[in-house]
Amino acid sequence: MIGFDKTLRKLCDASVRDYINPYDHIDWPESIDFDQWFMSPELISLYGTEAYDKLTDAEKKKLSFYEAVNFFSLNINGEKSLVQGLAERLYKRNNDEINNYLHHFLDEENKHMVYFGQFCTRYAAKIYPDKKMYFPREYEPGEQDFLFFAKVLVFEEIVDVYNVAMSRDERVMPLARQINLLHHRDEARHLVFGRQVVKDLFNSRSSGWPTETKQRVQDYLNSYLCAAWKEYYNPEVYRDAGIEDPYEVQESAYENCNAREHRKRVSEGCVRYLLKNGMLREEPAL
Amino acid sequence: MTRETEIRDALRAWIVKTNGKIQPDQLDDETPIIERRIITSLQVMDLILFLEKLSNRSIEVDTLKVGVFKNINAIYNAFFASVIE
Repeated sequence: MIGFDKTLRKLCDASVRDYINPYDHIDWPESIDFDQWFMSPELISLYGTEAYDKLTDAEKKKLSFYEAVNFFSLNINGEKSLVQGLAERLYKRNNDEINNYLHHFLDEENKHMVYFGQFCTRYAAKIYPDKKMYFPREYEPGEQDFLFFAKVLVFEEIVDVYNVAMSRDERVMPLARQINLLHHRDEARHLVFGRQVVKDLFNSRSSGWPTETKQRVQDYLNSYLCAAWKEYYNPEVYRDAGIEDPYEVQESAYENCNAREHRKRVSEGCVRYLLKNGMLREEPAL
Repeated sequence: MTRETEIRDALRAWIVKTNGKIQPDQLDDETPIIERRIITSLQVMDLILFLEKLSNRSIEVDTLKVGVFKNINAIYNAFFASVIE
């Protein structure tokens, strides 16, 4: 039904070749020096805002630690839902072609949660909780599968831009760089899979949907893209970093024109792909 | 104006602003905001942050019961009534 056997075989081979044991691959220091960058400064959610400019260098680095914990936490929260959704689809009728790869996908997502979870619990003693909620509703045939993989793709496309940038940024402390690099190595494959599966599902299923369903799906994806970004602006992070009025800071940072430009820049590749393949009707107002 | 009225007004104003189409007089405290898709599931995260700001306390999503966002009355009762009374 999907017709990308050759790509799937290559992805499976690469997953086998790059297979690692998450428990012996990273040396976890007992404690870490907080006077260093845990995120690239330009990727900190407050970067380019008045609130950020007011901070001292040490305060900016402290904020970068909690921002990294938030970035890793939102990955854990996203991957928990992803693992659940992948497991539900494993060996489901009509999924024969992708089953082998779903095993790798599941395995790799579980490993990512091991890295992210270790970092967050060891050094911050917390994982920022997920604030997302979904309410049950009716779907057209194929709509739920498409939206599941499309949401995964959007989420991973944004995350991967961050991973690549931080894995190459020598200002970022080595452990955080390593985690970003390990994540990117697997995500690069997941994105190849995701782009193909999403395109094929949309092309094969949307032709059977009424116009209003197709538009609803396109608009939902548009809203999801905007909502995915909201998680990067977490008032609990600002509170933990000692910043006053965290909710006001969150609102004004999200509305800041530099932040809007940043979101548009990071999402550019993903938005272009979704627009080109008809999965979005218009550019999202990021 | 009582604190309860202030909170209910703030909730109504937030819902009207977030929805962008509904008029304030179309929204009473019993209007089902989720069922009628006045607020979507993707906007609930923003609503939670707004409630945290308004109540000045963190909300643990895992512990929320079904129906807490059904309408303004349900939201008020779940997040504010025990603190205000």
